[in-house]
Amino acid sequence: MSKLVTGDGRTHIESPLMRESLVDRRVLATTDSDHERAILPDVVLVSVGGQSIFDRGRAALVPLAEEIAAARAASKVKMIIGVGGGTRVRHTISVALDLGLPTGGMAQLVGAMEECNAIFLNTLLAQHGSITMPRDHFWELPLYLDSGILPIVISVPPYHFWEPPPEEGPLPTHGSDFGLFIHAEVLGMRKMIFVKDEDGLYDKDPKKHAGAVPYRTIALEDLLRELPDETILDRTLFQAWKNARHVQEIQIINGLVSGQLTAALAGEEVGTTIFKMRAGE
Amino acid sequence: MSPSDRNALPSSLGQAPMTGAHIADIHYEPVAMDPDVRVLKIGGQSIMDRGRAALFPLLEEIVAVKDRYKLLLGTGGGTRARHVYSIGADLELPTGILAATGSYVPMQNARMLQMLLARHGGIYISHDDFEKLPLYHRLGCIPIMMGMPPFRYWEKPAENSRIPANRTDAGVYLSAEVLGARRAIFVKDEEGLYEDDPKKTPGTPLLTRIGARELLARDLPDLIVERVVLDYLTRARFCTEVQIINGLVRGNLTRALAGEDIGTIIYKD
Repeated sequence: MSKLVTGDGRTHIESPLMRESLVDRRVLATTDSDHERAILPDVVLVSVGGQSIFDRGRAALVPLAEEIAAARAASKVKMIIGVGGGTRVRHTISVALDLGLPTGGMAQLVGAMEECNAIFLNTLLAQHGSITMPRDHFWELPLYLDSGILPIVISVPPYHFWEPPPEEGPLPTHGSDFGLFIHAEVLGMRKMIFVKDEDGLYDKDPKKHAGAVPYRTIALEDLLRELPDETILDRTLFQAWKNARHVQEIQIINGLVSGQLTAALAGEEVGTTIFKMRAGE
Repeated sequence: MSPSDRNALPSSLGQAPMTGAHIADIHYEPVAMDPDVRVLKIGGQSIMDRGRAALFPLLEEIVAVKDRYKLLLGTGGGTRARHVYSIGADLELPTGILAATGSYVPMQNARMLQMLLARHGGIYISHDDFEKLPLYHRLGCIPIMMGMPPFRYWEKPAENSRIPANRTDAGVYLSAEVLGARRAIFVKDEEGLYEDDPKKTPGTPLLTRIGARELLARDLPDLIVERVVLDYLTRARFCTEVQIINGLVRGNLTRALAGEDIGTIIYKD
């Protein structure tokens, strides 16, 4: 039974952090431990790219939606789909930049463009049991996943007006790839699949450099040592992954090639797999 | 449309990545949303947990000046938040879960303030009500919100800790930054920032004015504000100062609202 403690003008509840400064590094370190509880470890988070897939319309999206429905029916894999916003997000930001809106104001705006794509995808998958889910309705997930429902969420994190000032430039740094990464990490998921329009991650942007070389598998630690200037995923994702405990592997595949997503969901090596080495390996 | 075509809208960002160095070259003249708002943080452990003795005199000061300034109050957590974090850490839960559960105590504190200020126009607002601030101010209201930012489950995993790095200091600071306010005022129970924790090391000297970068470089083991606030100050576009005052001394809040440099000011250096 917790006790109330008084005597210094404040009323405390007895706990290991009572009266402590939560800024003190010595105190903060006492809250750490090697293990962390994984909440929904067996779920795979699949991201469907905005520019790479949605902006191509029917030609790219309908076959991918059919593949998602078929793969799920065949394998019973539990997955959540996250959607990007694509070119409308860029347009939003470029108008906001011209208007001089504050960084937090830009962050407040972009999720709306992803909401459109969540609804578009849901129109294609509703008959197969999909639902658009407010991104933080985590505690409904067992209900959906155990009943064969496929939740579709937007990707950007809800930083909104409170987006921290960026290290350089005015653009919000906590974008869609980061948002989905944290979504997977906080729920203890081990694997994420990013469905884009390239056969994985390259050392340079393959749309601009003919000689770009794809990675097949690469350790996060090696990738961070020489992170390409233009990567297919946001930098903030890689930075957050360093301190993360659950996500072990991120696969980047080409959603324009039929069968790649099915293969990736089955654990096959297609596209690029970035993996995190566990301590001591 | 064939799968080889992206239906792209032309924009100044083109196909460039949305993060990275080149973005720094984009022409950008930021506009302050509502720079006259005085953004205040009412401390959790330092003020709220002291109850009536600390809070009532402060509320009297707020009520006395509420028609002079547009105010926005954000609340801290305090000992119940520490209890939440203790239990969450003991269960070995992720930082995002601690950030989400840690939001409920500042929310309670904001509601307590609202009840006490209701007859003077106190209203409790959520993050989603932020865009209605001009309305509330025009009606003579005192908007009160939880200090926590809305990151919740999306708070980044912390290094060597489970406690969320962005808590109520960060949330209140970021409210001031996005509004374009020049200064955020943190009402605590110390005169300001000391070289060490004055509750544990009596006689330690007070710092009246110090740069955020300088303070970060000192690498002190403990501070009176969340460390991320110092990081944010170094990159601030608008809110270039954080003022820490002792809310237990009558008149301090009124003086700080009038722009007096009392307590400690941490500035963008």
